[in-house]
Amino acid sequence: MVALARKTLVYEWRRFLPAMLAVGFAGLLQLLQVALVLGIFGSTSLYITGSSADVWVGYPGTQSVGQGRSIDADVASRVLMDPAVERVESYLWVDGDWRGPRETGGVSVFVSGIDPRADGMLFARVLPPSLRARLAEPDAVVVDRSEIDQLGVALGEYATINGQRVRIVGISSGLRALGGINVLCSLETARALDNVDDEGPTYIVAKLRDPNQADAVATRLRGASSFGPYTTWSARDFAQRSVRYWLFDTGAGAGVLFLAAIVFLVGAVITSQTLIAAVNGSVREYATLNALGVGVTALRHVVLEQAIWVGALGLVGAGVLGAVLMALARSQDVPVVLSVPAALACFVLVLGLAAVSGLAAMRAMRRIDPATLLR
Amino acid sequence: MQPVASNSVHLPALRAENVSKAFASGQLRTQVLDGLSLSVDAGELTLISGPSGCGKSTLLAVLSGLQKVDGGRVHALGSELSRLSAGALERFRLEHTGFVFQGFNLFPALNALEQVELPLDYMGVAEADARRRARASLAEVGLESRMHLRPAELSGGEKQRVAIARALAKQPQLLFADEPTSALDAANGQIIIDILHSIARTHGTTVLCVSHDPRLIHHADRVVAMEDGRILSDRRPDAQPIPAKAPAP
Repeated sequence: MVALARKTLVYEWRRFLPAMLAVGFAGLLQLLQVALVLGIFGSTSLYITGSSADVWVGYPGTQSVGQGRSIDADVASRVLMDPAVERVESYLWVDGDWRGPRETGGVSVFVSGIDPRADGMLFARVLPPSLRARLAEPDAVVVDRSEIDQLGVALGEYATINGQRVRIVGISSGLRALGGINVLCSLETARALDNVDDEGPTYIVAKLRDPNQADAVATRLRGASSFGPYTTWSARDFAQRSVRYWLFDTGAGAGVLFLAAIVFLVGAVITSQTLIAAVNGSVREYATLNALGVGVTALRHVVLEQAIWVGALGLVGAGVLGAVLMALARSQDVPVVLSVPAALACFVLVLGLAAVSGLAAMRAMRRIDPATLLR
Repeated sequence: MQPVASNSVHLPALRAENVSKAFASGQLRTQVLDGLSLSVDAGELTLISGPSGCGKSTLLAVLSGLQKVDGGRVHALGSELSRLSAGALERFRLEHTGFVFQGFNLFPALNALEQVELPLDYMGVAEADARRRARASLAEVGLESRMHLRPAELSGGEKQRVAIARALAKQPQLLFADEPTSALDAANGQIIIDILHSIARTHGTTVLCVSHDPRLIHHADRVVAMEDGRILSDRRPDAQPIPAKAPAP
């Protein structure tokens, strides 16, 4: 079989280049958008995904991590009574007003008071053990390296949070999250920074003997009210709850979907117009084949095949460029995350774009009439 | 030479019976073919000549099944074309007809061999067989040494020979050519008409050529002159004139 579609694509690549670029950039935009959204909104659950706890206990109705209210500290004993629970830890969340040594004005920060022990669950996955150990010093805090400029501070310097003096004992990475700047310190330091006296922890987290039991244990621990209002989630549920809140309840998700639709539309318009121009450029040759008896359906397949090739080549370009840009973003601490299902969704979307464009171009083949070739 | 075809017993390859065809352009209706009857025999080159707009291309279109008639009947190889559906007409053209147009209409991306092979692929001819037939056809039009060149590397005459090879490789019983020499110089036009003539002779193909090029008249077996949608004269340049023939009962 003579590969008409492929040979034409190679020989007349200049004609198809705009379509390949349109598909490529549409793919790249979708890919980076998804990666950014997953990175930025995924970071709203950093507190959960960055920790090794299996079950979270917090105030009922809490929609995202940052919105917790304090619960009774005695809930910890209730949780520990469950045989599946190995140990528990408190987490104190304090909203702080940061003043650095340089002119930065007041900066809103989220202070996370955690257990600085080496086997502490909170931020276990993002905080190096050496830095964690230094949090045991009084008034010690750790900040993310990407936020040093905003905080106007350097390692070893002093700043104030809510009017209390703190010292920067470590600079970490991977603590960057949406919505505010994270500052890590010990539970004792956090209590000192908290203006409310004698408040219980914001969350109590638990490690289970068998992490697979998280859903069952969370359900089992829920509903009791003898220690005041509280509820429980498995870590995965709570993380999803936080991301969902940011994605959908803040309107950001709708914006993302809207942008994806726009990118799809623009890509499809450019691609289909290019393919239509290619069909029009070959309409006499197609008509000659039709005069010789080749059916219009068979000729349409040529156009569809070209569309798929354009889509595939555009995707390869988008993939290569996307990988380079993702690496660049990571090196600059821009939160980008690309999961396999998300990448596959982009892949399907872009090939769909190419196929839709091909179908649109096939309509141009209605103009094929061999009788027009006669003088 | 054989006596005139109307005296033999076999059916003509192509037969138009009292065909009429009109085109409407807004309020204006133009009668292009007006009760025309014509029989065309296999194995010879029949030339339809006449001034621009006399209806000769339309006659070729209806005889080849590219267009339907308004009235009358068209028989080709025993089928009545006016009764066939669009799909059946396409199949008829795929199995039995070849076309050569004034524009060569070759795909820029394909070399001569691929141009000729392409319709054979769609006919379902096996790849090796298609390749062999394409080579043979290109050799027949004198292009065996240039079959790996693309249209951009071929002269106008060579391109038209590729187009003829493309039609010929299908081994059609009917070969239609519309102004095949108009875009060519005298020498190349001569080559083209000689090839068409030899195809009629050696393959027994019915070759129907439409042209206003007077240089072709001496190379045709039969010349049908048209004017205003009717046949003006019907003669054989090297033989006695054919009497006007009534449609078969």
